[in-house]
Amino acid sequence: MAAQMATTKVPEVRDITRIERIGAHSHIRGLGLDDALEPRQVSQGMVGQLASRRAAGLILEMIKEGHIAGRAVLIAGQPGTGKTAIAMGIAQSLGPDTPFTALAGSEIYSLEMSKTEALSQAFRKAIGVRIKEETEIIEGEVVEIQIDRPATGTGSKVGKLTLKTTEMETIYDLGSKMIESLSKERVQAGDVITIDKATGKINKLGRSFTRARDYDAMGAQTQFVQCPEGELQKRKEVVHTVSLHEIDVINSRTQGFLALFSGDTGEIKSEVREQINAKVSEWREEGKAEIIPGVLFIDEVHMLDMECFSFLNRALESDLSPVLIMATNRGITRIRGTNYQSPHGIPLDLLDRLLIIATSPYTEKETRQILKIRCEEEDVELSEEAHTVLTRIGLETSLRYAIQLISTAGLVCRKRRGTEVQVEDIKRVYSLFLDESRSSQYMKEYQDSFLFNETKGSQMDTS
Amino acid sequence: YYGNMDETQRILQYLTEVEEAAEDVLADKQQIVDLDIKRNRNREALAALHRDREQADKVKVCFGNMFIKLPRARTQEMIQKDQEQLDKEITELRKRLKARVNRLNELQGKPELTGYNLSPLSKEELRAIGRVLEK
Repeated sequence: MAAQMATTKVPEVRDITRIERIGAHSHIRGLGLDDALEPRQVSQGMVGQLASRRAAGLILEMIKEGHIAGRAVLIAGQPGTGKTAIAMGIAQSLGPDTPFTALAGSEIYSLEMSKTEALSQAFRKAIGVRIKEETEIIEGEVVEIQIDRPATGTGSKVGKLTLKTTEMETIYDLGSKMIESLSKERVQAGDVITIDKATGKINKLGRSFTRARDYDAMGAQTQFVQCPEGELQKRKEVVHTVSLHEIDVINSRTQGFLALFSGDTGEIKSEVREQINAKVSEWREEGKAEIIPGVLFIDEVHMLDMECFSFLNRALESDLSPVLIMATNRGITRIRGTNYQSPHGIPLDLLDRLLIIATSPYTEKETRQILKIRCEEEDVELSEEAHTVLTRIGLETSLRYAIQLISTAGLVCRKRRGTEVQVEDIKRVYSLFLDESRSSQYMKEYQDSFLFNETKGSQMDTS
Repeated sequence: YYGNMDETQRILQYLTEVEEAAEDVLADKQQIVDLDIKRNRNREALAALHRDREQADKVKVCFGNMFIKLPRARTQEMIQKDQEQLDKEITELRKRLKARVNRLNELQGKPELTGYNLSPLSKEELRAIGRVLEK
């Protein structure tokens, strides 16, 4: 993605107001554990599921310490019991430095690339490589910039640049090249700049605070910064984390005019990957790189077929492997694309490698709390009675259905200019939108008037 | 009561240790600044010597509080040598400073900075993945 940006270089003028969409798990901030890894009843958006959260916390701790690279975890449980929420919680607690890639099992079926390629890319997106960039820079506030034009009008210009920090001040002689880049960047007295010693590249950091009063009229873009401290010639170390996939993409591009015709997606040659693996492990041995095994989360993992499962089996054994977390809501079912039955629709040999975390249905109290959190997240005020009614609906139909009703009821309430959702609003949306069981009920009654009703006896293929 | 005294002693000792470590860090930082000031002054001198090289081939150099006339070439050579020495000292100091910052963090119970002990990639290696970094 970053690579794509570099090639097209569209000027960034995207200042459109961002519409915040609220995802189903946007309220999750972490796993809600205390320092001793004990789960709190309600914390960080998590409610209940104490045992599974505690298990997830242990796994999280092992991921952080890098102990379980190349292992896999399965979160299994009925629909709407918080499997994805736990995975999100793990992702949130890992912090920004650990790569987390999420995909749904069905996402790998695409015409553009093979299933195993899609999985390979997902695996490599979940492995971070930490590297360090070191540059010598000169950083200071411009005190004065003086350029002498030769009297004849032609010939090279010479000039002087005075830079200072809080501790020191010095004068640099300027050659014509530097003068050119300084005027290109429109550097003037009062600017705080850095100059890359190796390349001579100039970077404007902003204007010094002490010069804030120089002019009354100033562009909105003007940024004020402190005069730099310490020495003028500094060594800057920047630690970057990139994913293996990003390095793959950069190095798999065909150079030259062919690049125009090959798309950004598509498959990456295995030779390229091997070369990069070799390079990265070389760097690691030289102490130039650290591997950060991240997390690959595959939701709806029963959507994968035999080919994918055998790929996963093999990929987990590679020494560059992330922690694999999978989630499924299936019981004993057919493995996709075969006639074999297996628990969770996962082959037994893979299942044998997994740590399995089970989630269980929420209790009434927990359902109530989750609905409350969702109401806060979606900015909907709920009256006490409405809350009780909604909780009942959540228990009798499904939690997802009840959560759907929150925003719809909120809208109905706003239409009648109410401030708080009342039982009537809930009743109204309950009658407008059917839940799964009422919908099936309706269909059973009116089956005959629907199209294609001859499929009566046969079972729907759900795999 | 005596237990309390022990505790106070222990805390005092710990705080002294942290303060000392912090003092070490600050001292190194200041020394780098001082050396960089010298380095920049030398650089200015070299530039000045280079700029008016058509003039007399002897220049006045200030040692302490005395001006001495010296041949231009010798002076240049001397300053150059001084510069190299300064560069080396600053590199040494930076290395030591890193270890000292690490020690200070450790004493204060702060986690080690990520990637702190990595060696940097070379220019060519960076260029190979450079476009990934331009985020």
